[in-house]
Amino acid sequence: MSQTEGGAWERLALASARVPFRLKVALVWVTLLALVCVLFYLADYDTEWMRENFSFILGGLKYTMLMALGGIVLATVLAMLGALARLSSNPILYGVAGFYVSFFRGTPLIVQMFLVYLALPQIGGNLVDRYPDLGTNFEQRLILEAATAGTIALGLNYGAYMTEIFRAGIQSVSHGQGEAADALGMTYVNKMRRVVLPQALRVIIPPTGNEFIAMMKDTALVSFLGVTAASAEMFRRSQLVGKADFKNLEAYVLVAIFYWVLTALFTMLQSRLEARLATGYVRDAGRVTGPAREHGGGGA
Amino acid sequence: MRRVLTIVAVPILFLAACGDAETGTPAGSDGDSPPAAEGTVCETTDATDDLLAEICDRGVLTVSTDPAYPPQSKYLPKEDKYVGFDIDVATEIANRLGVEIVWETPSWDVITAGGWNGRWDVSVGSMTPTDDRQEVLDFTQPYYYTPAVALVHEDNTAITDVTTDLDGKTIGVCGGCTYEQYLDGSLSMSGFTFDFVIDDATVKGYDTDTTALQDLALGDGDRLDAAMTSATVAQGYVDEGNPVKVVGDPLFYEPLSVAIDKSSDLDPASLVEATDTIVGEMHKDGTLTGFSEEWFGGLDLTVQQ
Repeated sequence: MSQTEGGAWERLALASARVPFRLKVALVWVTLLALVCVLFYLADYDTEWMRENFSFILGGLKYTMLMALGGIVLATVLAMLGALARLSSNPILYGVAGFYVSFFRGTPLIVQMFLVYLALPQIGGNLVDRYPDLGTNFEQRLILEAATAGTIALGLNYGAYMTEIFRAGIQSVSHGQGEAADALGMTYVNKMRRVVLPQALRVIIPPTGNEFIAMMKDTALVSFLGVTAASAEMFRRSQLVGKADFKNLEAYVLVAIFYWVLTALFTMLQSRLEARLATGYVRDAGRVTGPAREHGGGGA
Repeated sequence: MRRVLTIVAVPILFLAACGDAETGTPAGSDGDSPPAAEGTVCETTDATDDLLAEICDRGVLTVSTDPAYPPQSKYLPKEDKYVGFDIDVATEIANRLGVEIVWETPSWDVITAGGWNGRWDVSVGSMTPTDDRQEVLDFTQPYYYTPAVALVHEDNTAITDVTTDLDGKTIGVCGGCTYEQYLDGSLSMSGFTFDFVIDDATVKGYDTDTTALQDLALGDGDRLDAAMTSATVAQGYVDEGNPVKVVGDPLFYEPLSVAIDKSSDLDPASLVEATDTIVGEMHKDGTLTGFSEEWFGGLDLTVQQ
């Protein structure tokens, strides 16, 4: 606010100086939420239908979380290997990692999902035709269920992005640390495990949490492959009942709320984790909540 | 090193578990005739080493369906089962084959593209046997025919004659389906001729019919002047109290058949033949008429108009 028109504003700011910042932010949130509720009311949604299908759509949470967890574990493993390869002086490792990152960052996730779901079985079939020694079992193993194919694609895709996160994290550890480990005669594995990676993790964990939160939302893409209704994730479920009853909008509103609450919850957890990891590095050691506030506390 | 192993093992275990969870459970075994009853196809067939023999062996027929398409197919979350016309037809086919039935619900374009890799055996999903699809899929004789109709917003009074009034209008349809092909004049099917009466329409493709209908319901000409879909879906949408109405007579009747993947590893020929015979019998003994009257408000859609 500028000084000239700010008279009233300044007085308000002064008068409310004793009201904690957090309380004011909370008030803003409550106001915005109320506005959303008014919009919701104006849209005249069929709340009866939403109540009826609430638990069915929410039932997909389990599968959403399973896919996101499976994806993030796979992605973490790939990112760790990718980052070490990106930092190695071995041209083969460096090249493989560069190729992997380039392809999976350079193509849309939904395309990768279809490739894993549709192209792998064909490759398997042709391989078995050409080399019958592999056995038909080999082919069967490449015919993945939609949820499995989706989880693998999520892991591959996010692993490529996280490779760069891990690389940056490892590089953020001062050279002196690695040199000291070398001077003590540690092997490469020991140096990484005991000296470099523990320090790098402090840098790596917060953005990895962000990737996990993003991934929870991207599990919705698996619905395009088509999953058996009983084990479908949230978005697929909302589509199933929404389309069948001509209640698409109600279904999307419901599922939006679910994703929002879910990501808000995990953003909150992540802020706490970040604050904890930063404890040793904050000058004003008494204010552990500092970094958490910086990130807006729950704005998913 | 052990910790590294654990990190690698966890996702693999997870994926394995995930794979198991995806396997459908047999449904529709509550049908009238018990599986492998007297006189079923599996009892009498001499098929060996092909798809039919494999299905009889495992005693399960895997059928794909799109459960967002009532009254043909709909998923009931509370009972965890599928209901609808297509569901009844598929269940009866499995009964007459003498096997149990399980469902897969892949997305529509994955089904029509062929190359199923054995993920499911047949599609009883109201599919029109267009020439394009016949290149990758085998079809049985049609098991019913749906009239394709045009809808407009209820405020619209200008469009009354579908053969002339829809020319040059913006019409919403499901993307890649027969209605889209009809509008751009590319619909072709051996044994059927179509009269393309709508000229120069601006075609808007949607993920599915109901999304197009929703856009039409927003208002007359807001996003769409008209939408095209099957009479059954149209009726369902009108019955929900939405502000749209069907105009004129059906534009064409499309035949709908059971589809089987041509590229199957095992020879599908005897399964196609057996399914085709079953569909013929179901026409003859009135089973299909019964299902049609039950699901389509007393209408018999099983005879070609």
